[in-house]
Amino acid sequence: MKIAVLTKAIPSYESSIRVDSSGKWIDEAVVNYVVNESDSYALEEALQIKENVGGDSEVVVVTLGSEANTSKVIKDGLAKGADRGIFIKNESTTTDPLTVAKLFADNLQSENFDLIFSGLQSDDMGSGQTGVLIGELLEMSTATLAIETQVEGDRIKVKRELESGWFQWVSLPFPSSISIQSGINEPRYPSLKGIMGAKRKELNTLEVSPANQSQSFVNLYIPKNEKVTEKIEGDVDSIVVKIMDILKNKLKVIS
Amino acid sequence: MMQFSIVEQIALVVFLLSGISFFLYHLLIRLKIVLKGKSNFSIDELPKRIKRVFDEVILHKKVASGKRKSAGILHALVMYGFIFFGLITINHFGMAFGLPIFSDSIKHTYFLFFGAPWAILCSIGILGLAYRRFVIKPEALGKFSSTSAIVSVFIVTLMVTYLIDEFHILSGTAEKFNWWLHSGVIGGFLFLIPQSKHMHLVLSPFNIFLRPFEVPSHGAIPIDMEASEEELDNLLLDLSRLSKDQALDIFTCVECGRCTDVCPANRGGGILDPKYHFILDLKNPMLESGDVDVVDKINVEAGWECTTCQACTEVCPVGNHVEKADEIRSFQVLAEGDVPQEYQKLLRNLQETGNTEGSSASELLNELPVYTADKELVLWLGCFAKHAMDPNFVSSVRNFVKILESAGVTYGVLSNEQCSGDPANKLGDKLTYQLLMDQNVEELNKVKNVTTMCPHCVVNLQKEYKKYHEIKYEVKHHTQVISELLEEGRISINPGSLEKVTYHDPCNLSRTLDEVSAPRNAIKAAAPEFFELDESGKETLCCGAGGALWWKKDSGEGRTHLLRAEQVIESKADTVVTGCNFCYGMMNQGIGPLTPEGQEEIKVKDVADIVAENLS
Amino acid sequence: MILVVLENQRGKIHPFSIEAVAAGQKFAEKLNCELSILCFGEKVDELKSQAQSFKANKLILAQHAMIDTYSADGYSKVLSDVISELSPKYVLMGHSYMVRDFLPRVSAKLNIPFVSDIVSVDFNGGPHFSKQVFNAKLATSIEVSAEQSLLSFQSAAFSSDDLKEGGPDTEVQFNVELSDHDIKSQSEPEFQESSSGVDLTAAELIVSIGRGIESEDNLPTMQSLADAMGAEVASSRPVVDMGWLPPYRQVGSSGQVVSPKLYFSLGVSGAIQHVVGMKGSKNILAINKDEDAPIFEIADYAVIGDVLEIVPKLTEELNK
Repeated sequence: MKIAVLTKAIPSYESSIRVDSSGKWIDEAVVNYVVNESDSYALEEALQIKENVGGDSEVVVVTLGSEANTSKVIKDGLAKGADRGIFIKNESTTTDPLTVAKLFADNLQSENFDLIFSGLQSDDMGSGQTGVLIGELLEMSTATLAIETQVEGDRIKVKRELESGWFQWVSLPFPSSISIQSGINEPRYPSLKGIMGAKRKELNTLEVSPANQSQSFVNLYIPKNEKVTEKIEGDVDSIVVKIMDILKNKLKVIS
Repeated sequence: MMQFSIVEQIALVVFLLSGISFFLYHLLIRLKIVLKGKSNFSIDELPKRIKRVFDEVILHKKVASGKRKSAGILHALVMYGFIFFGLITINHFGMAFGLPIFSDSIKHTYFLFFGAPWAILCSIGILGLAYRRFVIKPEALGKFSSTSAIVSVFIVTLMVTYLIDEFHILSGTAEKFNWWLHSGVIGGFLFLIPQSKHMHLVLSPFNIFLRPFEVPSHGAIPIDMEASEEELDNLLLDLSRLSKDQALDIFTCVECGRCTDVCPANRGGGILDPKYHFILDLKNPMLESGDVDVVDKINVEAGWECTTCQACTEVCPVGNHVEKADEIRSFQVLAEGDVPQEYQKLLRNLQETGNTEGSSASELLNELPVYTADKELVLWLGCFAKHAMDPNFVSSVRNFVKILESAGVTYGVLSNEQCSGDPANKLGDKLTYQLLMDQNVEELNKVKNVTTMCPHCVVNLQKEYKKYHEIKYEVKHHTQVISELLEEGRISINPGSLEKVTYHDPCNLSRTLDEVSAPRNAIKAAAPEFFELDESGKETLCCGAGGALWWKKDSGEGRTHLLRAEQVIESKADTVVTGCNFCYGMMNQGIGPLTPEGQEEIKVKDVADIVAENLS
Repeated sequence: MILVVLENQRGKIHPFSIEAVAAGQKFAEKLNCELSILCFGEKVDELKSQAQSFKANKLILAQHAMIDTYSADGYSKVLSDVISELSPKYVLMGHSYMVRDFLPRVSAKLNIPFVSDIVSVDFNGGPHFSKQVFNAKLATSIEVSAEQSLLSFQSAAFSSDDLKEGGPDTEVQFNVELSDHDIKSQSEPEFQESSSGVDLTAAELIVSIGRGIESEDNLPTMQSLADAMGAEVASSRPVVDMGWLPPYRQVGSSGQVVSPKLYFSLGVSGAIQHVVGMKGSKNILAINKDEDAPIFEIADYAVIGDVLEIVPKLTEELNK
């Protein structure tokens, strides 16, 4: 069984996010790039499936991005147990999910993966489309927000997370592209052997230059906060008095 | 005078020889296993070691300390009894061959001055201990111990048969029976001791002698990123092995359970039980495999609960270094890649940003002067202060700086200070630890004198780093610097208000760094109404943040992180002073929610705060 | 032409779809084009009567037994066919879990860009679509270079208060063509893991509990406040993950989306995943110790204080 795990390098939550001089992107120099959180869950799910299915299954970690930001993502995946890596090197900033998906689909088609796992969305752009787009382009079945998976022969059963505590099981034939929800499992930490063995694993680099994007950023800016917020401070008693006033007289939610 | 037939003499010899062989056989099996352990026994500072054996064995300083003073004294009676009866025993066996070593008159004198009194005292001792174990049943001693029951009976029997012999109560066959009973019990000990906790009789003086001075004394695990696969495999195999010290500890353990009694994780409702998880669980696996590769038998969940405070090691009366969290965690992390989820983020932060918070900005780093070669002191901030893990502590750092400046001490911070690596080290991620340590050592070896307000940093920069690198700098804890400045008259402190002030000893400072007096010098100068908490000094109760547990305390499980705050509240102090930023943070977090209605919230201060407030 | 697609949420029109209709009406007005509303998929009849109240040019009904149950395969095929036939310039939906699941299929099938999770639209030039990026630290203005686009809106980007009633001018049936090989997946019925009679979306007053209450032991204190106010209790995800409250109390992107008259948060920091679930609230009153907590950016009233001290006294006052 061949499983691809799409992993993205994104700015860490604590990084300083500043708009650069072009006004259309961020200043990458001050940013610390890390593995997108839900992608770690996707990788762990793939590794667990490989361990359960056994045989000659392989897990391939795939990433797309610039050399500077992205290389650690592949190393991390290989250290945790992926068998090989594919690095789709794209030095331009590509934000259009459709364009990105086409790059993946074109370069992964010949691999004929049985499963493609991705995180439900990347925390930088938050589009959450890539896995499904690739699935359609490669004529695979798709599902999103998997909170549990069960492989049965050449089908996979996925428990989809829905809103408000609802769920749904869906059975999909291979090949299938599935986006994984955080919390589905407990991602492993790379062992020392894994870290040192990662260097020896196969890594394919494919250079691409993306086509024109069908949607793009006109600009990037700090959102204006138009909300008028009334600040309430002071000692506990005066705060309580003020809140009572708001509830009773301003909002009229109590009598 | 009793007469012994040749048959009896042969029987005696056979009996004693079989007992001695049995004893030696089991002793040698254990010693063989111990010698397979990693690294070597430490035999540095011989005079200090000999004195320690005298203090702890003869004077029973650890056994009869604190809450267990009376039990300790009872034990002393039993032990001295054994020692004084040594000569009597030799004489007893000599009699069988017509070769007593005492003449009747000497024997009688000995009896009057040593034998009788000690027979009585020893009996009191053993009966007292038996009462404690079988009637009072302290939890730490565990379930019913048949060997203890047998030993109690044995000792009483010995004393009684001895007294019967001395007072010549019996004669003829009864007297001979009494003699054989006495001999049987002595021989019985030879069979009973080696496979029970009573082996401590033989092993503990040696174990105490060989005990490493450094607490904790976990070995370094250097990792060479360019190592071959074979070298890596050897390193990983080694992770599952105990050291010679640790193996000897396990066979020496007397199962008193004091380690579990003092353990903050255990007291906080966790499953960690150091007596079993760190010591006894490993004994049978060692005997079964004949080797020391038993680290994987340590309960993993218990291992993650440990705060590495070393209270267990401090209290052990037979010289054990109990805590083995370092071993099981290193094994889990390096060999298995098994790290609890809540710590993975912490370790990634360390790898990616060189600090525990994943932060890229620091208020203090921007504010304080940078170190240059003409300055006396490097002020090492540590992640806690640098990234304001408790925002209130930032002002404590400023207070320390105020003290330095008032004494005219020039200082500066290192702009590329990386985390000392303590959390990575304590979690067993030696790879991340090395990453940080290597960078820090390179910078620090360019300077001479370093001070920091975080005892965890002191421990790593000074003691742990030394296990891997040559260290050219010296690190002092800020309370030591303050105490020195006070002694040298470079600062003076006016006694402050009369509020009741107490001090919580940080475990890293009091136990690992052996420093209890410097903070007290400073505090007592400022606070005339200073009083000690229960469990102070080297017996301090860990605040719960150690062993990287600070980063797990919000997971909502257990009360390990609340115990000390509760004790502080119960003490009804007005102010609690502490010497560690983590303890400071824990006190702040615990005291608020735990203070009962109507009671005023206790103020939390660092030593630097109370001194700066009262500088003249 | 603007095409708004309605989503069926267990027998009713999904609240996001209603907001999408309001959006569609605005688009039609600003861009001076026709507005069509598509009602398809699961049991169209259930939604028909409600859909018939929305003001639009056309109401399109597309029914087929094979799309009576949701499947990504079926829905994407049918919607693609509708779009191919009718060539709308913009296709509008709410950014719901279902839309995430199948709309990208349409995007790839028809090679039409899908701009997802839009928070506002600028009709001057463009139009340009604003999205939050980098954990809402920044926002971006997106332009589309293709002829058509698929758009999904974040909750409360448009308000259902602005919905114009009046019904469609005409109603048409769309002829759905589906065969077995179009649908490869098999779905089982939706289910809930912990059931309750609680419907936070209907609540007028909500008291929401966050990690700032510090310990599960403090929960009863917070609940007393809710009781004193006659409010429903809700929470952020971490509180549910720690087991302090059941999942049906969760508000946020993976929980419920609520818009009560008053959303009173206690110790909630206001992470984006939570805010998305409650920013449509009419009034937001937040208590938090940390004056930099993100919740204060969307709050009407920001109380900077210790929730553990304030709530007991407040409850006392309310009970007087």
